[in-house]
Amino acid sequence: MKIAVLVKPALDTSQLRVKEGRVVIEETPLKINDIDRNAIEEAIKLKGNDKAYAISVLKWPPLQKRIQEAENLLREALAMGLDEAYLVADEGLIGSDQSATAKAIAAVINKVGADLVLAAEASIDNYTGQVPPRVAAELGWPLITYARELRVEGGKAIAKRDLEDSVETAEAQLPAVVSVTREINQPRIPTLLAIRAAMKKPVNKLTLADLGIKPDVKVELVGYKPVVIQRKRVIIKDGTPEEKADKLLQYLRQEGVI
Amino acid sequence: MKALVVYPNKEALYAASTLGEYAALAVGDAELKAAEGAPVVYNVRGDPRDLGLRISAVLQLAGQYDVIIMPSLKETKTIGGYMSQKLNAPFITDVVSLRAEGGKLLVERYVFGNKATASLRANVPAVLTIAPGKFLGEPPKASTKVVELSPQSAGLFRIAGVEPKASGGVRIEEAEIIVSVGRGFKKKEDLAMAFDLAKALGGQVGCSRPIAADLKWLSEDHWVGLSGHKVRPKLYLAIGISGQPQHIAGILDSRIIAAINNDPNAPIFQYADYGVVEDLYKIVPILIRKAAELKK
Repeated sequence: MKIAVLVKPALDTSQLRVKEGRVVIEETPLKINDIDRNAIEEAIKLKGNDKAYAISVLKWPPLQKRIQEAENLLREALAMGLDEAYLVADEGLIGSDQSATAKAIAAVINKVGADLVLAAEASIDNYTGQVPPRVAAELGWPLITYARELRVEGGKAIAKRDLEDSVETAEAQLPAVVSVTREINQPRIPTLLAIRAAMKKPVNKLTLADLGIKPDVKVELVGYKPVVIQRKRVIIKDGTPEEKADKLLQYLRQEGVI
Repeated sequence: MKALVVYPNKEALYAASTLGEYAALAVGDAELKAAEGAPVVYNVRGDPRDLGLRISAVLQLAGQYDVIIMPSLKETKTIGGYMSQKLNAPFITDVVSLRAEGGKLLVERYVFGNKATASLRANVPAVLTIAPGKFLGEPPKASTKVVELSPQSAGLFRIAGVEPKASGGVRIEEAEIIVSVGRGFKKKEDLAMAFDLAKALGGQVGCSRPIAADLKWLSEDHWVGLSGHKVRPKLYLAIGISGQPQHIAGILDSRIIAAINNDPNAPIFQYADYGVVEDLYKIVPILIRKAAELKK
């Protein structure tokens, strides 16, 4: 089964750079979106003798610096076991809304072919989870989101959808788009040998012009503001457990929360 | 601006009413009841779980509305992405503030693991989901005009079965005091201490991801964090929780955060108002006793 996996070079939010009350996107490093690793793992399990490939779209500036950074990240995905990667890098996609992103991804899928598209339920930086549904709409394919279990049988994807209060069993005819949750599997850690082999796997770079897509901006970013939460950060570390308990309860009573 | 509310609840209806004229789309009796008071309600007959029905209905009505508003749920994020692509419209999720200005929508949402707010100016038509607890007004009550609608489902997938999730009967997002447990607890039985402390304080028990998702010591309704439940209690007491970014992102709206951890370098202390460096097995039993005494 030929599988396309959406791999986002996401902002590493644990290393978010903030200077003078401003978020500095350009200096914040990228990482593979955590849950994408689960999608990659699932693709490797399901692909059989066929090919599984990554599709990445660069969303964060500065473009030139990020291309190399994203390529390095894609090597990690290839080391896990994907066969090939497609990186769409274009100024027109930086800061665009996800409609153009989905069009670019769908164009790559139409070009390379796929029986199944796997993606993460959401990415750690924006956490909107909208790209997999958008890609399904763009391709006109069935869509299953929030899969915590997935199997493919008789040309169908059968998944357990993890919803707030229930688990739904969903079936869809292939080709289909499926987004997965972190619970679906335990992503592998590549061996040194696999990391070396990944250096030889192809990373194909594409622009919007290569895909015949025109950028179109419908959302304008006014700005990012760091959320400043002033916590008191009072640390109670001296004394016996009894004394510490007294201190904590005293503080909490002063705050009027107990 | 004209807004259409899908998956109607009070907060989404209120958010829509602040923009001007609005209507609601209801699939099934429960939603029909929730939509009561909206000036126009489109009543769609069919299975309330059918996402494709709502997509088709919205696509049919979209020309008459500037903005589609839904509460933030997994299902609304699913259909929101799909219909936005069909409408060539922006989709902005977990919106915390919203107003119309010069024919555009000015919205704010949290980004980067809730470490920053993005302010966005979006063209209409646009699709939005609103974060819980941010639109707490009363929607005006009108006499409702019900319009029957029978769209063909867009059929994203076939539902072959539904199982309710195991529940500890907790609505953690509504709790005023949360005693939350993490990997610092060595065995499942030890969680009894947390339940005792929660009881003494008059609160509920929450947990970090490993306790619910990996170890399955507690049902998922206890799970606090970005992929669990976002909470906003007056007191969040984290016991034996190291403070991974995804967990922190779920507790930022708490009024007071207190933490107990034996590791003085645990990241949770960076986000806490009061941090106690102590072995939880020593201090929690004392806290249970003292908290019970306070109540007397």
